[in-house]
Amino acid sequence: MNQRYCISLVVVLLMTVLVLSTGCTSTTPQAKTYVVGIDAEYPPYSYIDPDGNVTGFDVESMRWIAAKEGFNVTFQPTAWDGIIPALQAGKIDIIYSGMTITDERREKVSFSIPYLKINQSVAVHKEGNYTMDDFMAGGLIIGAQRGTTGAIWVEENLIETGKMPAENLKVYDNFPLVITDLAFKRIDAAIYDRPPLLDAIADKPLVIIDPQIDTHEEYGVAVRKDDTLMLDAINKGLSSLMQDPYWEELKQKYGLI
Amino acid sequence: MEPAGFITDILIPALSQGLVVTLQLIVLSAPFGLLLGIGISLGRQYGGKNLSNICKLYVIFIKGCPLLLLLFILYFGLPSVGITLTAFAASVIGFILCNAAYNSEYIRGAILSVKDGQTIAAQALGMTKWQVIREVVLPQALRRAIPGLSNEFIYLIKYSSLAYMLTVIELSGAGKLVATKYFAYNEVFIAVGIVYLALVTFTTVAVHYLEKRVAVPGMIH
Repeated sequence: MNQRYCISLVVVLLMTVLVLSTGCTSTTPQAKTYVVGIDAEYPPYSYIDPDGNVTGFDVESMRWIAAKEGFNVTFQPTAWDGIIPALQAGKIDIIYSGMTITDERREKVSFSIPYLKINQSVAVHKEGNYTMDDFMAGGLIIGAQRGTTGAIWVEENLIETGKMPAENLKVYDNFPLVITDLAFKRIDAAIYDRPPLLDAIADKPLVIIDPQIDTHEEYGVAVRKDDTLMLDAINKGLSSLMQDPYWEELKQKYGLI
Repeated sequence: MEPAGFITDILIPALSQGLVVTLQLIVLSAPFGLLLGIGISLGRQYGGKNLSNICKLYVIFIKGCPLLLLLFILYFGLPSVGITLTAFAASVIGFILCNAAYNSEYIRGAILSVKDGQTIAAQALGMTKWQVIREVVLPQALRRAIPGLSNEFIYLIKYSSLAYMLTVIELSGAGKLVATKYFAYNEVFIAVGIVYLALVTFTTVAVHYLEKRVAVPGMIH
C-alpha cells in the first residue's frame, strides 16, 4: 500500500478518536444520577413498552420517589440472575424491580420497607387438564426463570422433598422463554409471581390454575449494605408514596388491585 | 456457611453433574461435526458447480449466524413448523452445524495445500477421482488440518456452554445455578474456569500426541 495513503488513514483515524473522546467528556455535572437495575421483561412492574421506553409500576414509583427526594435516576435492564452481583459491584445503585425480600438476599443487600405482597401462581396449557394437585404432587415438568422465588419454591418444596426429580425443573434465562416453551407444550407448567404471570399469558393459549401458592412474599427495594443514605431516601420516599393518592392510581393503572 | 462444606457438598457435586452433560454434548457433536466438515470441504472442492455453491452458501450462512441465534432458531423457532426438539438435541444439532462449517474451512485449506502434481500423478497411474481423494489427498490433508481442527474442537468445548440458554444444565449452567442460589459468584466461576482450563489443556496435550502418532516419517510439508 502507498505509504502516504497509510499515513493519511492513520491521521483520519486519530482525528475520529479525538472527536469522539471530546464528545464523551463534555457532560456537565448535575444533580447526582443513580442507576436503577431492573428486569426489563417483568411487566407490570418493569418493562420496555412498544415505543422502547422503560415503564411499569416499579419504574413509575421510582421516578416519583426520585423526584420527591431530589435525585435523578436512569434505568438499566440487567440479567435477573446477576442483578445482585451487579449491585455489589457498583454497576447499578438500586434494584427496584419486584424483588422479593428473602433471608438469603438480605445477607447481601439491604432491603427497604416492603411495598407489595404477592404470591406465586402456576400457569398451564389450555389443552392439558393439569390441576394444582398434579403440580403439588410433582408430576409435571415445570418451567421457571432462573434465580426467581418461583424456581426456589419448586426446589425447596418439590425437589428437596423428593416429590419430583431435579431434571423436571427447567430453568430459563428469562420468563418470556418459559412462556414460549409452555405454549409449545414442551413443559407442563410455569411458575411465577402472580401479577406478571397474568400479564405474560395474555393472548396465549394458557391459563392460570388455582389455588395460588401462598408464599406471602413481599417486594422490597434493594440497595448496597453500606449505602444507608440511599436506603433512608428510598424508605422515606416509599412511605410518602404509599400515603399519596398516586399510589392507588398506579395500582389501578397496572391492574394490581 | 463454611466454605469447605460449600465446596465439597454443593459445588463439586453440581459441577460434576454439569461436566457429565458437557462431555456428552462434546462427544456427540465432535465426530459428526468432523464428518460433516469433511463432507462439506470435499463438496466444495470436488463437487460440481451446484454442490460446491450449496456448500459455500452453507458455510457463509453458519459463519454469519451467531451460534446463540442458531440454537434459538432450532429450539424456539422450529416448533412453529412442527418440529419439536428437546433442548439437548437442539444443542447437539446446533453444535454440529456450527462445528462442521468451521472444520470444513480448515480441511479445505489443508486440501489446497496438497500439491496438484500429486493428483495428476495419481490420475496418471489410473486412479479414479474418488480414489485420488481417498488415498492421496485426504490422508495428507487431514493430518495437516489437525492444528486447525483442534482449535475448533477447543472452541466446541467452550461454546457448549451456550446450551444452558436452552435449559440444558451443563457445566457453566450448573455453576450459574449454584452461584445464583448461594450468591457465591467468584468461587463458582473460578471453579468452572478451572474445569474448562483442564478440559482444554487435556485436549491440547492429546492433540500434540495425536499429531506425533499420525505423523508420516519423511513427509515433507
